[in-house]
Order: sequence, then structure tokens, then C-alpha cells
Amino acid sequence: MSVKCEIGNYAVHSGDKLKKEETVVKRLFSMLLVVCVLFSIFGVTVMAGGKSGKITIWAWDPNFNVPVMAEAKARYQKINPSVEIEIVEMAKADVEQKLNTVLASGMKEGLPDIVLIEDYNAQKYLQAYPGAFADLTKKINHKEFASYKNELMTLKRKIYGVPFDSGVSALFYRRDILAEAGYEPADLNNITWDQFIEIGKQVKKKTGKAMIAFDAADGGLMRIMMQSAGEWYFDKNDNPNIVNNEVIKEGYIAYKKIVDSGIIKKTSGWNEWVASFNKGETASVITGCWIIGSIKAEKSQSGKWAAAPTPRLNLKSSVNYSNLGGSSWYVIEKSKNRAVAEDFLKTIFAADQDFYQKILVEQGAVGTYLPSQDGVAYTKPDQFFGGQKIFSDFSTWMRKIPPVNYGLFTYEADAALMAVMPDYLAGKIDVETALKKAEEQLKNQIDF
Amino acid sequence: MENTTRLPSQDREKRHISAKNKYGWFFISFPVIILAVFMLYPIISSLFLSTMSSRGMIQKFVGLRNYVKLLKDTVFLQALKNTFIFFIIQVPIMLFLALIIASLLNDKSIKFRGLFRTGIFLPAVTSLVTYALLFKMMFSLDGLINKFLLAIHLISEPIPWLMDPFWAKITVMIAMTWRWTGYNMIFYLSGLQNIPDELYEAAEIDGANKLRQFRFITVPMLKPIILFTAITSTIGTLQLFDEPMSFSSGGVTAATIGPGNSLLTMSVYIYNLCFKYMPNFGYAATVAYVIVILVAILAIIQFKLAGDKR
Repeated sequence: MSVKCEIGNYAVHSGDKLKKEETVVKRLFSMLLVVCVLFSIFGVTVMAGGKSGKITIWAWDPNFNVPVMAEAKARYQKINPSVEIEIVEMAKADVEQKLNTVLASGMKEGLPDIVLIEDYNAQKYLQAYPGAFADLTKKINHKEFASYKNELMTLKRKIYGVPFDSGVSALFYRRDILAEAGYEPADLNNITWDQFIEIGKQVKKKTGKAMIAFDAADGGLMRIMMQSAGEWYFDKNDNPNIVNNEVIKEGYIAYKKIVDSGIIKKTSGWNEWVASFNKGETASVITGCWIIGSIKAEKSQSGKWAAAPTPRLNLKSSVNYSNLGGSSWYVIEKSKNRAVAEDFLKTIFAADQDFYQKILVEQGAVGTYLPSQDGVAYTKPDQFFGGQKIFSDFSTWMRKIPPVNYGLFTYEADAALMAVMPDYLAGKIDVETALKKAEEQLKNQIDF
Repeated sequence: MENTTRLPSQDREKRHISAKNKYGWFFISFPVIILAVFMLYPIISSLFLSTMSSRGMIQKFVGLRNYVKLLKDTVFLQALKNTFIFFIIQVPIMLFLALIIASLLNDKSIKFRGLFRTGIFLPAVTSLVTYALLFKMMFSLDGLINKFLLAIHLISEPIPWLMDPFWAKITVMIAMTWRWTGYNMIFYLSGLQNIPDELYEAAEIDGANKLRQFRFITVPMLKPIILFTAITSTIGTLQLFDEPMSFSSGGVTAATIGPGNSLLTMSVYIYNLCFKYMPNFGYAATVAYVIVILVAILAIIQFKLAGDKR
């Protein structure tokens, strides 16, 4: 849109209040004023256009998604002052609950215009509520985003969301503890899980510290392992593929090896898990990059950390790059201000490179918008990580994450596999039986 | 006969009554309508829903297939088993403890009775999240409980309270007992006030010791209240949701509810079916109906056992 349109719009708004006699003079004057102000603020940049209306956004996490959205809101309102944006903060479970109940009831009221959806759940919502989300294939240039993010939000060749943060996974480790056990950073680059376990044993032997904290109810590691090989719980037709899935079998065996090797500290729940490395009881963490905020929370460990690519499985298909978690923005199809909502996401999340630098520094949010990753913030060395350019590394690794279609039933499969895990770890059943049990349960549960 | 001899005043009386009836019906209609809309309709509607299989908005009629599916659903069967373990072990222990504490605190010779009573009742009014958080800290591997047990040499290795399927259940039972014993105690205390002292005096004269007094006076006299607490506790346990949800790792983010789904209860499963998994409201309604049927059966059994003929 051009400047002309902006002025026209302004005149319409202010014109109502003015008396007819004064209109012409005042309108000319206000036109001049607006032009001057706009030019002085934005230079000669092309304006996005005078959008107006109100959009509502649902998101969770007051330390991450919500401030990121607040930053986006501030930036968009600078360009479009008459757009009102309300960010509603709820717990993740509450967002999902509300979305499910309102969509299932078929009501048009009570929905936001933009909603945050976790990547693992994307296909579930897209397929369970057909027509509920806006097709953004032509609105957003998805080629500028990491390809694995586009894959998970594609249904029948239509791409529905705007990719947001990455959960590119990494092996975060304590340089000092590893050095004490006799390992250089190069020794941890591109290793396999078996090598990781061997290193862990040495660490345990020489320093007495556990290599990682491990929660037996958490299926996160399994998801990291699977995606590193471009596999998931399901085949291309969304049928469970567990018993004959080499990757899952390998991953399952790796779980037991890790537990049996004695390199773990058992934890239960998020708080204990985070505390284990904040207190310096464990030498490494393998998870998504969003953990950085929690690692950095312990300031006394500054300079002692480093990040290496994720360990891979003993399979040809497995690479040292994977992902855990991450979410994306979706526009509700029946939203009254759909055009504004789409324009908002396009203007900020698919164009504003500076925005991505800002949220990286402030929230540690690693976006998946590739053009932004040559920016200043991404290429800066991080002193907490001993001067390593971790974000630049993440960016490189992110591009190599094998794309996976998460399908409809990630959490069902996750639960089915983890439910039989304690029996397998205790040696009560072998891996074949465990996987068979898990697949039977999963098949019965997702039977429609 | 009556018609012919009817006096005008009688007629007026009758009209008056029918007018009264009209008002009666008018006033009663509000609660009836509200009950019908908010109770009866959802009950019937969810019965219909339980014959559907759904994936979000997409629904299809499956008749009784959901109930067949239920029998093959190992997760549901595990939830059922877990719920019954909680019910069979935790409820009797809690009610028995409540009864003992109530009769101890009913003794008028005890000083600061009010203080003790308040102290024991207090957990019931504590915020769930707060107490779950504290319990999780206390029962962690290097938490207070393990440190204490290690210090007095009762155990040689820390107990994996929340990391082992068996111990996780024990932990939640301890927590539930801590929280709800005081609540049940209050009912017993109020019941004890109604037992005349003469009965105890007479028993004492007859040479009955405290134990026999408890067995033959306190328990029989409190029977209706014991029945009431047993039924409310049964319902509460069958609908158990809060504790497993807050005690299991990340609640909604963890793969299973407790290690190996050891804390999964039927209500948590309903929640998962609706909101965590592919939303299958039809199947969730089926599970809900199973809970209703079980509660009804158990209540009937308890009435029969208590021998209450009313």
C-alpha cells in the first residue's frame, strides 16, 4: 500500500468530527502533518496500509511466547496504530482445552483470531476440525522457513500455519566436568548414543557426577531419537508403525542401555530435572534449544557450558540433528478480522528480521525464519557458552533436521510406549514384547 | 350426592386450592426447568454421546462398540485397576484413622483439643497445588523424607518415591490420607457429640474397657455417619483427578501419568481422551458412564453391608 492510502484513511476517520466549513483547510493541514510525521518516523519506506480492527491471540508461557507476542504487537502497532491486539495468556493445557471445546461445539463465538499450537498437535487439530484454520499457503512465503516446520503443518498440499520457534535439539554439556574426565569439545562432536554412554561412564568414574538426569515417564528422548532418523510412530498413512520400526526398537534399547549404564540421575518432573543441572549434579542435558533459558538461570555456571550436535543412533538413516517440541501460529478461518491477523503474522513473523534478533536476545527464542539467522544476534559469540556461537550452530543444525509428519496421535503413541517402559527397564519383558504391547494398545485406542 | 349438596363456600375453597396449586406449580417449575436443562439433558445427551466415536468435529455412530473397545483398552483397564487400588487401600485406612483420631480428640480431659482438631482439619483447606508441590519436594530422591529415613537407618538406600510404579502409588496414598483424614474426622466428631455420655458411663460400670466401648458403642452409634463418609469417599476416589495430575511428572506434558501410568485414574483418562489425545468425546462419555455405574453399584453394596433398611 502507498502513503496515499494511509492519508485517505486518516481523513475519513478525522473527517467525521469536523464541521463542513473547516473540513477542507483542516484536512489539508492534517494531511501535511501526517505525511511529515510518517516520513520522519519511517523514512521513505513503503507502508503496510491502514489496517484496523481488533485481533485476539491465545498463547501460553509468560516467559516465552507471551513476551514474544507482545514484542510483535508493539512492532505491528507502530505501523498500524489503529489495530487493537489482545494477547490472552493461558496455561498450555487451558489453551488446548478451550480450543477443543469451542471447536467441537461448532460455535463461532469465543475463539481467538490467532492461536498457538504445539507442533506435535498440529495435524490433530487440522484434521479433527476441518475448515477451522485458515489456509496460508498463498499468504506466507513458506520457503523462507525451515522445511521440517512446513511439513508438519501441511495437509493435502495446503500449508496452514506460520512456523514459529524451533526445538532444534543439542547435547549441552559442562566443559569443565568433561575436561576433568579427559574429554575435549571435539570428542563430543557428532557422536553416537553408544559413545555418549561410554563418555558418561568415564565421567561418572572420574568425577562421580551423573552424565544426565533422566525421567522414566518422559518420552522426549525417544522423539529426539526418532526424528534424528526421519521416522515417527506412524507410517505415511497414519497407521501405527512400532513393532517393525527399527528406529523405535533401537531407541528403546538405547533407553535401557542409558539406564543400565549407571550414568543417570533419576528425576521426576520438570523442576527436579532442571535443578539437577542447575545444581551441577549432572554433566549434560540433551533436549531442545529452548532449555537455554533454564541453563542460563544459574549464573555461577557462566562460561562452563558448551553445545554439541545431538547424539545419533546406530543406524544409517540417523543423523546428528533432531528436534524436540516447538510450536507455530495458526489463524482461525472464521475470524472476523482474518485479513488483519494474516497481515500481522506476515508483517512481523515472516518479514521482520530485526524482530527475530530481539526475541533471540530477550527470550532466547530461536525462530525458524531462515533469512533472520544471518543477523547480528545469531552470529554473536555467547560468553555463557564459553564464547561459542551457539545460535549460529543451532541455525546450521536446524536446516538439517529430517522432516517428519507427526501425524494425529503423537501423544497416544508416546503414552503407549512409555507405559510399558518400566517393565522393560526392570527386565520383566523383552523389547519385542514391549513394542508389541504398545502397538496393540495404540491400535485399539485410535480405532475410530 | 356431594355435588348437589355442595355449598358455595366449599366451591370457593376448592378454587382457592387449585389457584394455590397453580402458584405451586409455577414456583416449582423454575427448579424443575433448571434441573432438566442442566442435569437431565446433559445426562441423556452424554448417554447418546457414548454411542458415538469422534475425532473432534467428525462423529459417527458406533452403537455399543465403545463399550467393547473399553474392555480391550489396556490403558483403561489399568486406570480402573489403579483407581480400585486407591479405593480399596486408601479409603479404609483413612476412615479408620479419622475414626480413631476423632474418638481420641473427643475425650474431654485432653487439653488444647481445639488446637489439635484445627491442626488435623487444616490440610483439607490447603490449596491443592501448594501441598502437591511440597509433597513432591519432600518425597524426591534427596528430599526430606528420604534423608530422615536414611538418618535413622530405617533404609540403606533412598526410596524412589515418585519414580517407581509401586512407590508412586504409596506416595499419593500418603498425601491423600494427609489431606482428607481431618475432613472425615470432623463428621465423626459431630457424630460423637450426639452419643450420650450415659452409655459410656454405664459401660464403664459394667466393666467394659475403652476398646470394647469403642467397638460396641462408638462404632454402632456412628454407623450412619460412617456410611455417609464411606460413600462420599468412594465417590471422591472413583473421581480422583487432582492428586494424580499434580503428582505425575509434568502433568499434561509427561508421556504417562506417573511411572508406567501407575497414577492414571479413570477421571484423568477422561481428561486425556478429551484434551490431550485426539479429542474423542464419545469414548470419553463411555468412560464417564462406567464411573457412574461403578459408583452406583458400590453405594448399593455399602448400604447393604451397613444394613440400612431405609
